Amino acid sequence: MMQKLFSTVALSLALTAPVFAGSAADDIQVMDPWAREVPPNMTTSAAFLTMMNKGGVDHKLVAADSPVTGVVELHTHINDNGVMRMRPVKDMPVPAGGKTELKPGGLHLMLMQLKRPLKAGEKIDITLVFEDGSKKAVQAEVRRFDGMMKHDMKHDMKHQMQHDMPMKHDMPMMKH
Amino acid sequence: MKRILWLLALVVVAGAGGWFLLNGSEPEGPYPGMGGDFTLQSNQGPVSLSDFRGKVVLIYFGYTSCPDICPTSLGALAAALKRLAPEEMARIQPLFISVDPERDTPDKIAEYARYFHPRMIGLTGSLEALRALADRYGAYFRKAEVTDSTLGYAVDHSSVIYVVDERGMLVDMIQHSGSPNAILERLRRVLHPSASS
Repeated sequence: MMQKLFSTVALSLALTAPVFAGSAADDIQVMDPWAREVPPNMTTSAAFLTMMNKGGVDHKLVAADSPVTGVVELHTHINDNGVMRMRPVKDMPVPAGGKTELKPGGLHLMLMQLKRPLKAGEKIDITLVFEDGSKKAVQAEVRRFDGMMKHDMKHDMKHQMQHDMPMKHDMPMMKH
Repeated sequence: MKRILWLLALVVVAGAGGWFLLNGSEPEGPYPGMGGDFTLQSNQGPVSLSDFRGKVVLIYFGYTSCPDICPTSLGALAAALKRLAPEEMARIQPLFISVDPERDTPDKIAEYARYFHPRMIGLTGSLEALRALADRYGAYFRKAEVTDSTLGYAVDHSSVIYVVDERGMLVDMIQHSGSPNAILERLRRVLHPSASS
């Protein structure tokens, strides 16, 4: 019984595992990547996503890049008794079997020197670079944040599989 | 017996004194000695807090190149404002005060504020004026050189919505929150003081 269960799990893992197994990019599953729409004439924004490490070893996100920006930096916020201190971080660890959430008020990809304004509804390409040099391309949907993210994120998590498919988001902020 | 009477008298006197101290001639809000009037610059000229007597004024200190904290707070505030009835909104004046005058021009601040809410006014001033004002409201900001970043510097800052009532008195501080509902509830408490006991 145990063995059967194990082989079923192994088989399903094998089926979902990418061709080149083993690299960080293969182990990391990215969920719900999104970027914040920017007010007019602003050239900084932030992108958020959740990384799940399906592999057996710890990984680290060490850099990111996007064609719509001059620079992408890894940043975090430290809430120091109500004072928000934004600081660059060298990397963002994703423990084996665990997840790391980039979200407003915490870890984020700082999109700097934007080459054009980001408008809600569009998608931007972001390449994530991991500690072993492997890369993962994701498409982040640009959203106008209006504080209803929590619900939206939970909702999106449930339907995370759909994010890999082309999907029309007419009103990303609304309950759908 | 005599001793008890003395004690009683002492308690009464102390109580009255305390009551007098707490309810002195000047009505004081929940934050005695904090808040107060100021004049700063908008892209349309000077704006004073006293211009908005009779309105509930919401004040947020931030800076426009703040990529996350300010948009989160202001976005949540805007969402809360959009849920107010038009007659409630008519009684409110939101202000965004940039504490980064080095990089934020009045035009840039105006545009930034308007993006979040069409009625939000963007203000700034000299660093000294901003420092004095922030101190009076208990807001914190400090330019933080950030090495290893093309940002140059970040502005460490507290993220609080200060609520000033119709008389110009600081009556509430809404701590950093991405929740429009939480903000809405606090705004309604100030707009309808009798409704909430």
